Amino acid sequence: MAVVNYEPLGTADVTTTKTLLHESIPLTGTILSGTYGTLLSGDNIKNYTHGMFQSVYDYPYLSSSANHIFDLTVGFNASSPLSGTSGVTMESKKINMYNQFSQVLLGFTGSGNTIRDFELDTTLDQTGSMKESLFINFSRLLYKDEIKKGTVSLVLGTGSWADPFALTKTLSDASASATAGTANTMGGDYGVLYSAADDTARGVVFYQAGLIVLSTSSWDSIPLFNSGSDYGYTITDSLVSASISGSCDALRHRIKNISFNNTTEINSTIYFCRIPSNKYNYSSNPTYISSSQIVVKNVASDTPVSYVTTIGLYNGNNQLLATAKLSEPLRKDPNNEITLRVRLDY
Amino acid sequence: MGFLDNSGDIILDAVLTDLGRQKMARGNFSITKFAVGDDEIDYGLYNKNSPSGSAYYDLEILQTPVMEAFTQTNAGINYGLLTNTATDLLYLPTLRINTKGLNNTVRPPSTMRGLFFVASTAADTTNKLIAEGVTAANHTISNATTGPAILLEAGLDTTDINGTAANRTTYLLNTNLVDNYYFVYYDNRFISSILGPTPVSKFNNTVDENGTLELSPALHNSPRVSTDLQLENYSAARVRGIMDGIVYNESFGTVDTTLSIISGPRSTCTMLNVEINPNLSTEFSKFGSEDTALPGGLVGAKFDFLDTILYVQGANTGIQTQIPLRICKYKSG
Repeated sequence: MAVVNYEPLGTADVTTTKTLLHESIPLTGTILSGTYGTLLSGDNIKNYTHGMFQSVYDYPYLSSSANHIFDLTVGFNASSPLSGTSGVTMESKKINMYNQFSQVLLGFTGSGNTIRDFELDTTLDQTGSMKESLFINFSRLLYKDEIKKGTVSLVLGTGSWADPFALTKTLSDASASATAGTANTMGGDYGVLYSAADDTARGVVFYQAGLIVLSTSSWDSIPLFNSGSDYGYTITDSLVSASISGSCDALRHRIKNISFNNTTEINSTIYFCRIPSNKYNYSSNPTYISSSQIVVKNVASDTPVSYVTTIGLYNGNNQLLATAKLSEPLRKDPNNEITLRVRLDY
Repeated sequence: MGFLDNSGDIILDAVLTDLGRQKMARGNFSITKFAVGDDEIDYGLYNKNSPSGSAYYDLEILQTPVMEAFTQTNAGINYGLLTNTATDLLYLPTLRINTKGLNNTVRPPSTMRGLFFVASTAADTTNKLIAEGVTAANHTISNATTGPAILLEAGLDTTDINGTAANRTTYLLNTNLVDNYYFVYYDNRFISSILGPTPVSKFNNTVDENGTLELSPALHNSPRVSTDLQLENYSAARVRGIMDGIVYNESFGTVDTTLSIISGPRSTCTMLNVEINPNLSTEFSKFGSEDTALPGGLVGAKFDFLDTILYVQGANTGIQTQIPLRICKYKSG
């Protein structure tokens, strides 16, 4: 039924606020390889006929319960020494992948208006370039509005192919924070991922884009980054000879953990619903009267009492646009005033 | 729709309604006012005789679990809290359907208690209903302006206070508890308009100053208004409330309560009829029954019929009641 008594909300009764909500996102290596199948394949790993990237789900992807968590791909710049090497598998697609990320996140530069290289620093001065890269592209489901700066950690296996986690490197963006340690590009802020053991830059993370770009340097020293029954590749060989999804398989095989905190920006409007002492002390609830007598009173001089459980927010046409419920009834009588703070999040 | 956790601090669970989200998508979301409600509360749990004292009167009410907010607009606030500046009210009016069997009013047939019948103007519907035991006093005729009508009365339904004119002034007029208009909410798929009282409609027992009833249901189409129940397919009409002139007077030959459903002072009354949507066709099979004998019918005539509910609410006091209607159209037999 339509409500009979309304209370106006003035400009002093409405305010707005912004809140940042963070969630911890831990991704364990077992989900990436092994939990849903044998090593390097799994029902939660989706490869495509175009072969340009590989998708990782948290559950077998044919199930409607599966959530897409990230994509993997590899690539190199056209100016990389790998470009033009004879027998490069999927060369143009690897260059295309690198270029695509670079042009979206870094843009073009120089007199030739060429695509920028990813760099292992925050100076954008064309030094410390990563001309060959591995990309971990998180789903928005995970990173929401952005990755929280200073919270990214990756543990990468640098051991043998058979026992990749006998040796590990931990990369983190500990030097980045909300106020320092990042650079701003057309693709948003990015920070550098340093290896804790040797304080060497090994990749970058783009916070708003939800992308980690890894250099090949973490695995430069190991002979078998990627191996199979009839092949064995260093990381460079893998980028040359293996398909994109083959290199992605090898990368998954060497990810022990990834963790970060995501960020959700919540914009809220707060309505201060002020219920004055002399109002809303009676109810139209049918149980409020018995034989027309108010049941909370014995005599007329008794204080009228009502209980608030619900607040309805209306527009000028008396249409209910939002409802709020109190977790327990609040007593209202002429001796008290109530201000209820109703927050609507967007 | 779970219950909210009431074991700790008071929390407020707020959601946008379906309509709110629709308005937001269309870019005309603007909240300008609020109202408060108490739908979950059973005031019968208020124990004025608690041996532990007044602090314990509302112990059970304060423990009432409250459901989570949900997004349907019609389920927001059904019973709003009321503002009345007087703090010494002991009585509030109620709205009741008069089923005293007065001339020119209708009441449900004895075989189908609670259902008010409305006859289509289609040929033979009225005659066949009467043959089935749904007498002329048990059904209205679609769009009939001279009655019979459904009579609703508002007032203090208590035997503690006599229904005198003086008490009407003291307990109702002076305390602003009189509804001069009522909102009638109706399903616009089945009903095209609501008929309500005109300024010449009358309901009193004072015309001859001897308690004789004067009841004149002169009806007309009432204006449709934008205040809506927020139930899908429901529209609202505003009908006039005319003075309920039934009063108690010990010198009257007819006792007031033989005419009025209200035992104490009366405020206003209203008389209702409906105009059935003239295009009703497949609605009978979709929402009701086709070619069906009435339960308890006498000669087996068959009707198309469907059931719907009118919601009636006092525009000032918020008092409300529901009228279950059965819309009938003669079919065969």
